[in-house]
Amino acid sequence: MKNTKNLLFILFFACLIIYPFVTEGRWLAVGITFLIFSIVALSEDIVLGRAGMFDMGHAIYFGMGAYICGILNYHYGLPIFATIPFAIIIPALIGICLAAPIVHLRGDYLLVTTLGLNMVFLQVLENDAFGLTGGPNGIFGIDSPSIFGFQLMSQTSIYYMAFIFFIITLLIIKNLEHGKAGRAFHYLSQDPIASQSIGINVRFYRILAFALGAGIAGAAGVLFAIQYGAISPEAFTFKESVLFFAIVLVGGPSSIPGILIGTFVMFVLPEVFRQFDTARYLVFGLAMIFAMVLRPNGILPFKFGKFPKFVREK
Amino acid sequence: MSLLKLSGVTKVFGGLTAVNRLDMEISEGQIFGVIGPNGAGKTTVFNCITGIYTPEGGKISWEGEDITGLQPHQIATRGVVRTFQTIRLFSKMSVAENVMSGRHFRSKQKWWNTIFHTPKSYKDEIANWQHVKENLKYFDLIDYASHPTNSLPYGIQRKVEIARAMATEPRLLILDEPAAGLNDSETLALVELIYGIRKQGVTVLLIEHDMDLVMELTDYITVINFGEKIAEGTPSEIQKNPQVIEAYLGSEEDDD
Repeated sequence: MKNTKNLLFILFFACLIIYPFVTEGRWLAVGITFLIFSIVALSEDIVLGRAGMFDMGHAIYFGMGAYICGILNYHYGLPIFATIPFAIIIPALIGICLAAPIVHLRGDYLLVTTLGLNMVFLQVLENDAFGLTGGPNGIFGIDSPSIFGFQLMSQTSIYYMAFIFFIITLLIIKNLEHGKAGRAFHYLSQDPIASQSIGINVRFYRILAFALGAGIAGAAGVLFAIQYGAISPEAFTFKESVLFFAIVLVGGPSSIPGILIGTFVMFVLPEVFRQFDTARYLVFGLAMIFAMVLRPNGILPFKFGKFPKFVREK
Repeated sequence: MSLLKLSGVTKVFGGLTAVNRLDMEISEGQIFGVIGPNGAGKTTVFNCITGIYTPEGGKISWEGEDITGLQPHQIATRGVVRTFQTIRLFSKMSVAENVMSGRHFRSKQKWWNTIFHTPKSYKDEIANWQHVKENLKYFDLIDYASHPTNSLPYGIQRKVEIARAMATEPRLLILDEPAAGLNDSETLALVELIYGIRKQGVTVLLIEHDMDLVMELTDYITVINFGEKIAEGTPSEIQKNPQVIEAYLGSEEDDD
């Protein structure tokens, strides 16, 4: 059982590695999109799936990462790679500031609050805040990243860059699953009062989940900015946030394969069925409904009970 | 010196005084009982001690330190850990993971270990799982280690909750009606369990409705009625106390 799972994962990674050799053009772009949105969905999952907080504004941090990359590169001439630390740390810090006053709110209230934050964020972008965000048109002409003097212009190189980010994200989440903080997220999402009573600082870990989710989404934002060389506000509306939210729930909260399938269904299949035009959304809408009714814990639900074998040996 | 001391603790809900100027003193190594009729305010007292409620008046001190109004997790990390009247386990998770939650604040992992592990944090992780194993062995729960707790019988769930609390290596274990819903043989096993816990040097504070159990188990009892202390003493003193008998059975005048 475990072996087949590992085999499937290896197969999946092998496919991702050779993907650029077998496709090009639009399909390569779809591959990059899949990687980027997978990273964002996995980061949303830290907040929503693991820590159990209804964050309906995750596009904020994704967009923030993209805009920080764009602004620092376009207005201040920073090379793309130099913008990455900023695009991770600033969204994480802002995530902390935004989360701190609201994390005590119960599920539905938090959802509405984060929705509001997303709308405010969009207004900031559209109104050309501080003359930096470029208003409704956004920012055009973002450089391509260069490393040791080589320009990473091609879609293939951007694909591999996204792949590396994707792997790092998965490593962080694996790390989370085998550590104190990751477990604390699960504990506090299932029973905050019991968690507090055995010494877990619930507030701290809720904010930490937001910071971590925001930082990773920010990194994905950089990839988004360089993939298109341009950014505009409509990529970060609350509609996007709803999509990320839905991916986590449909795929299976806390389940990595579930979320990857969710991303595939939401972002890649629409490309595959492009000839059906808007009718495809009818199909996806119905698919979402059936997925939630038939599999309320997600397509591939997460299974608890992972701990070192020696614990149950007599 | 007393381990935990409540002086004049008062908790008000709207117009209702649930706990009224309560004094209580628990010494190290005791098994201390709190009894009283339904709705007397016993659980409210526990919620005040463990920080779930902040009392409107009075002072709660732990080894001389004022802990009134501290957050629940701050109180827990000082060694005051509780179980709940309605069992509160992490129901989707396995028994082992539930017990591991008790190791949370003993774990030495730092915040950056959230992002990457170091050899030190790996070692810490293994050491804590080792501790969980010892704990499961002590409570005879190894067979259930990978079972999700919501699939277990009630008696086992109670035990898991106590095991989880004990995993924190507490100084004071607070049990809110530990025998509720247990059958006779399970209650008997519980008595042994609590004696065993005391033997480990843990002070026990408990609420219980089962009078036989309380009289057998505890060294000292406080009786509460309508949020006020009406008596305290050793079990034999309490059994003879007319006020206690009145609170439980109704006064003679009532019968007229």
